[in-house]
Amino acid sequence: MIVENTQTQMRKGILEYCILCVIAKGEIYASDIIAELKKAQLLVVEGTLYPLLTRLKNNGLLSYNWVESTSGPPRKYYMLSADGRQVLEQLDKTWQELAFAVQTSIEGRK
Amino acid sequence: MLKEYMTEVKRHFFNSADSLEITTDIENRIAEMFTDILARENRQAIIDQDVQAVTAQMGSVKDFEYAEDEGTATFAQEPAYNMGTNTRRLFRDPDDHLIGGVCAGIANYFDVKPVWVRLLFAMAFLGAGAGFFVYVLLWIIVPKAISRADKMAMKGEPLDLQGFKRNFEAELNMVGGRLADIHHEARPLIYKTRDFVGDFFHHLRVFLSGAGKIIIKLLGLAIILACVAGIIALIVTLVGTMAFGTNNFSLPDNFFNYPYINQVRVAVGILVLIPLTVIIVVISSAIFNTTGINRSAGFTLLIIWISALAMVAYHASQALAEFRDSAGFTQTINLKATPNQTYYLELNDVMFLTPQDSARLDIKNKFKDLILTDKDEDDFTPRSVRINIEKSDVPYPVLVEEFTARGRTYEQALNHARNTRYILTQQDSVLKFDTKLRRLQAGQWHNEEVKLTLRIPLKATVMVNDKVNEYISNYLDVGACFPRHRDHSRTEMAPFIMTTEGLQCKLDSAVTAVPNEDNNKDNNTNETATTVDTVSTMTKVDTVYIDSTITKAAPAKKTVIIRRLHKK
Repeated sequence: MIVENTQTQMRKGILEYCILCVIAKGEIYASDIIAELKKAQLLVVEGTLYPLLTRLKNNGLLSYNWVESTSGPPRKYYMLSADGRQVLEQLDKTWQELAFAVQTSIEGRK
Repeated sequence: MLKEYMTEVKRHFFNSADSLEITTDIENRIAEMFTDILARENRQAIIDQDVQAVTAQMGSVKDFEYAEDEGTATFAQEPAYNMGTNTRRLFRDPDDHLIGGVCAGIANYFDVKPVWVRLLFAMAFLGAGAGFFVYVLLWIIVPKAISRADKMAMKGEPLDLQGFKRNFEAELNMVGGRLADIHHEARPLIYKTRDFVGDFFHHLRVFLSGAGKIIIKLLGLAIILACVAGIIALIVTLVGTMAFGTNNFSLPDNFFNYPYINQVRVAVGILVLIPLTVIIVVISSAIFNTTGINRSAGFTLLIIWISALAMVAYHASQALAEFRDSAGFTQTINLKATPNQTYYLELNDVMFLTPQDSARLDIKNKFKDLILTDKDEDDFTPRSVRINIEKSDVPYPVLVEEFTARGRTYEQALNHARNTRYILTQQDSVLKFDTKLRRLQAGQWHNEEVKLTLRIPLKATVMVNDKVNEYISNYLDVGACFPRHRDHSRTEMAPFIMTTEGLQCKLDSAVTAVPNEDNNKDNNTNETATTVDTVSTMTKVDTVYIDSTITKAAPAKKTVIIRRLHKK
């Protein structure tokens, strides 16, 4: 129980950061973001992504373009805003620190 | 199935201000995935399996809740651990509501039965309506319990009772609920108002189909009772007026003298009766599910009603046509001059009777030597006398009478004017004015009027009291014309003198002797008809339109009935 809980906590903690990282690679469509995250084994279903994207967008970290699609409705292609980039840099730093902290902690073991 | 799914999704995001955007995104994505599937497998239709596959890829609402708190996990997670079981939150209860679920929500919060809270609100509502405002306020402020977590929080139920796994998933659910609350609280007022309006109409519908039905039934019953009472009152009135005639009812003379009055009565009765009956039948059929009016009966009633309406309209126009033209004539009567040039103006309160009336009442035998006094109050004879006092060019007083009346044609109008008479009685220095215009023959009134102009010689004294003054068109300030402005009764007389500028108070111009009141009294109590000198307007007029016997009979009648019943 506790294990699962902690696992969830850890995953959640980095999900937003990962999304920002994925989008930072360039304009990207939501399902492609999903594909990336799935590859990274972070996310399971698509539906959870949309609220997150909307929230990030509302916070000014993301912006999007409507792009006509050959099949179906026009798609939203997301990209980072200037704010997003700044936040991402900060998060990068934080992640480095965290990774260092975790790594250091692990090293002491065994 | 897809619809169900989308409804679920929408409901989940309903709390969020961005619900529209998110759900649109999701819808678009689903549409896209379907298109992909169709293109890939070269099919024309979507099957259930596709929908399942797509929704599985999208994730269920539970998954959304899982994801949704990721952003706020850091602070929301902590209380979730020790968020035990029995903490209650105030929500509106959408499952057990009568109007907006406010009462049920409060009841849940305090863990009492909703009926008590409702009773309390009902009482508060009766007391100056305060309950109503509190209720509406709470309706707007208190959020509706939408998600399962809300409802659980509302009822303070332990989480494991709800079939949730007793693990972090359930707790997350709880957190989801909390998160929803945060959204709720952060939501601007405008959203709340919108929700409120939507809610209001939804609940109104539910209310009307429930408790409202009873209220509406009661209302219908009240209307039916009112209609029945109206019908009874109408019948009583109609029968009453037909049976007892005009005497018992304070309605204008004219109304009952109309020749076709009974037809009009029936028509008016029908005019009112039919709608009342229809209202009763329709409402009772709606409330008690009895059979209403069938088509042919309704049509018949409508035709009867319309003909009654036409009849009333016809008679109304006929009655109005009686007033189309106007006519009038003037005549002048010379009055006797008194030696001291003093004239007492009084009102004649003797009742005037037509020959028919006096025959009916058997005046000669029953009321011999009695005077029938006139009661002013309940008489609807038009008050059609106006007296104007002017200066006379000759050394004796002159009365100019101007009769006017209306009629269908000029001839008829003149006829109506001729059908009237005005009686001024002169007893030495006392001029007794009739308060009313008399008619020689009964019938409808046609706005008959008489304008009297009393011409008084220069320097003659006119004694006036308040009662007479009411009929004088150039109103005299009687009250100011008493010595030292003392109080006076309505019958007490004040002296006025005729000057070149009209009547003026005698006290102002010169101090004179007190008017001869004794003489006045003597005249009033004098029973002798021999001194009475009746001046009739009709004497000089040719009597083409008027029965000559009446003309002669009326003045004679006066002498028979002149005597006072009581003195003031």
